[in-house]
Amino acid sequence: MVTTISKLAGAAPGSLRSLTVAAWLGASLAGALASSASAETLTIALSSTVNTLDPTQAQVVGTDVSVATHLYSPLVARGPDGKLYGVLAENWQPEGDSAWLFNLKPGVTFPGGEPLDAEAVKWNIDRIRNPETKSRNRSWFDPVSEVEVVSPTQVRIKTKGPYPTLPDQLSMIFFLSPEWMKTHNPATEAYGTGPYKLKQFVAGDRLVLEPNDKAVLEKPTFDEVTMRVIPEASARVAGILAGEVDLAFDLPLEDVERIKKSGRADAGWVPSSRSMVVRMNTLKAPLAGNTKLRQALNYAVDKEGMVEAMLGGLGTVSQCQILTPAYFGFNQDLKPYPYDPAKAKQLLKEAGVTTPLKIELEVPLNRYFMASEIGQIVAGQLQEVGVEATIKEMDFGAWVKTYAGRDMGQMALLGQAWPTLDADGMLGLYAAANPTAYFDDKPFDEALKAGRGTTDPAKRLEAYKTATGRMCEEAPVIFLFAQPFTYGTSKKVTWKARGDDWVRATDVVKK
Amino acid sequence: MSRYVIERLGEALVAVWGIVTIVFVVTRMLGDPAVLLLPLGTPEAQVAALRAELGLERPMIIQYLDFLIRAVQGDFGLSYQFFRPAMDLVLERLPATAILAGTSIVLGVIIGSLAGFVAAVKRGSFLEFLAMTVALLGQATPVFWLGIMLILYFGVNLGWLPTGGWDSLASLVLPVLTLSIFVAATVSRLFRSSMLDALSEDYVRTARAKGLPPGTVYTRHAGRNALIPVVTMVAILTAELLGGSAVTETVFSWPGVGRLLLQAIENKDFPVIQAGVFLIAVIFVGTNLLIDLIYPLLDPRIRVTR
Repeated sequence: MVTTISKLAGAAPGSLRSLTVAAWLGASLAGALASSASAETLTIALSSTVNTLDPTQAQVVGTDVSVATHLYSPLVARGPDGKLYGVLAENWQPEGDSAWLFNLKPGVTFPGGEPLDAEAVKWNIDRIRNPETKSRNRSWFDPVSEVEVVSPTQVRIKTKGPYPTLPDQLSMIFFLSPEWMKTHNPATEAYGTGPYKLKQFVAGDRLVLEPNDKAVLEKPTFDEVTMRVIPEASARVAGILAGEVDLAFDLPLEDVERIKKSGRADAGWVPSSRSMVVRMNTLKAPLAGNTKLRQALNYAVDKEGMVEAMLGGLGTVSQCQILTPAYFGFNQDLKPYPYDPAKAKQLLKEAGVTTPLKIELEVPLNRYFMASEIGQIVAGQLQEVGVEATIKEMDFGAWVKTYAGRDMGQMALLGQAWPTLDADGMLGLYAAANPTAYFDDKPFDEALKAGRGTTDPAKRLEAYKTATGRMCEEAPVIFLFAQPFTYGTSKKVTWKARGDDWVRATDVVKK
Repeated sequence: MSRYVIERLGEALVAVWGIVTIVFVVTRMLGDPAVLLLPLGTPEAQVAALRAELGLERPMIIQYLDFLIRAVQGDFGLSYQFFRPAMDLVLERLPATAILAGTSIVLGVIIGSLAGFVAAVKRGSFLEFLAMTVALLGQATPVFWLGIMLILYFGVNLGWLPTGGWDSLASLVLPVLTLSIFVAATVSRLFRSSMLDALSEDYVRTARAKGLPPGTVYTRHAGRNALIPVVTMVAILTAELLGGSAVTETVFSWPGVGRLLLQAIENKDFPVIQAGVFLIAVIFVGTNLLIDLIYPLLDPRIRVTR
């Protein structure tokens, strides 16, 4: 049974085609009666719009990719504990440095009976790799040279060199039916092997899922899952307090405590995988070639105080690295630069800087967490050691043009994360070849290369230890804190909290 | 008459073309969609490839001509984010906006004109003071704040109504209330002042002198003429609301055109911005054209001066 998009005009309940009050009332009553039965329903609030149901084009973990995970199956998925587990894959291992072998679970079929086997996996990956498909995710497979069907239950993915993060990346790749694709549009319809199937899709408003009886890989745990798009944070809080929504994210910090105290619902926070930093353009004067100056700025900013005062303690100070403990490659030995204005002043002297030093701080708006406030606090603290930062606030869309075009100002405030939760991708943002690096450091680049050059986890950890250590020392950024990821739950459920943006009904447990 | 109609129609077309052109140029100066669509830190070659795929590497004049030729045929291109025809997306969201706008206008106009009429007729009374104070508050209160307050009171504290979204008749109540308060406030103040103007006109004095009952004077003579500016205002308000009340739609998670456009602007989804703006421009200009054409029928004096 293929579900198609229900155009707003045809969306029930509240169909507009027969816009009679009777029909409306009838529908609302029927809806009310249906939900008062003992059906186990789950309503999740998404913070932004679902763009497409097509997993080939899904890029945003918090919306499109998370929706795909309910409708389709990946080879592997990341659990709330941060570890990968097999979904379609029984197990997987690297074959030397030039291939990965995946053993698939046998007998998995699409709802119509077509097999989801090695052939189908190859077809899907090749389809993404094909420029004709125009998949925005094609670059994930740049290092892949060939996908080989060994047997119906074995796929070998050959790579141009070591590709240690391939399994992580594959957790964001889902499998469509080649047969079904001939006659359907995956952007608005769905037909997969995931635990749920599409019941209704009201563009811009909601997505209703029902159990996929034919699912064998992951079992549905709710009779109905509704994903509602609620873009406004205070409206999400209202939805949680009113009991209309069972799970919501990105709530305003001050509301977390309020929800807990209300007794109507629950709320909490986890450190997210996104680190807030002040980027310093180390290719531009005065920050270029002046490590002492960059270290001085790190001493000048009181991270602890910022987390206490601004986040009410809801945040974790970065340990002199942009990785959070959730990332592979996190370096436990590093400690944050302590807040020490005296030391900062002394370092500025040693750096040969005449104070007051005038510097620009770009603050892109409407994208990063509390950017405007953080920017002002940072500027205020730099002022105290004799660095006068002029804040330039601008729209993110306009700012990003210069940032991605190798034309960032002297400093900029932003948050950084990488969906595979691997140091390779996150630290790779600072590799000299990257257009947004603004950092050119040989030892750092060497260490990254070493980490990428092997699939042996122990060797990789060693390499990232070097890389993070070097980055802490060289200080191409002012390390701030990991942004808190806040959430609220209704009385009905508990959520296995995770800070990596994945939204899965399987992480929700009925009380 | 026909020449007047043709002139007005020509002006309307030029206006739509002008709006669409300005938006076309401004969006292209604001940002680079290719950078926003790919993860930050994507190698330049890939960004350039996507830019080429979206046809954004061509000179602006070529892009513009291409856009015009297609737009005339009703093709506004594929949305960068949704991978679907841009105009389809906008039209898909139009019913939600239309039902919200329509209900709010009707309700707002009924309440607003009653309040305005009473305020004008009962001039200097406590009723007038009350009606106008409420209207002033209604106009001065930010829609955003009002919406949140209504949600907290009726949705959370009392639990009577849904806090947002659109799946039943009940979810229409709060957003309509929010918008109609705004409409009613605007209409009542305008109707009151134009009613007072009308009441001081010669023809009203004549009607009173003829000994007509006050009711007839208020409704038939003054009221009818006082409605003319109100009709204009209501038409403009309707056009405005049909363009999507972005704030209200965002607060109430209402899947309308306003919210779609807001998102398209944030993400630099040019085709959707262009399709949405085109539609809103047509609604706006069309409304104005309609007013221009209906006016002579409402007010005989306009026919004379033409």
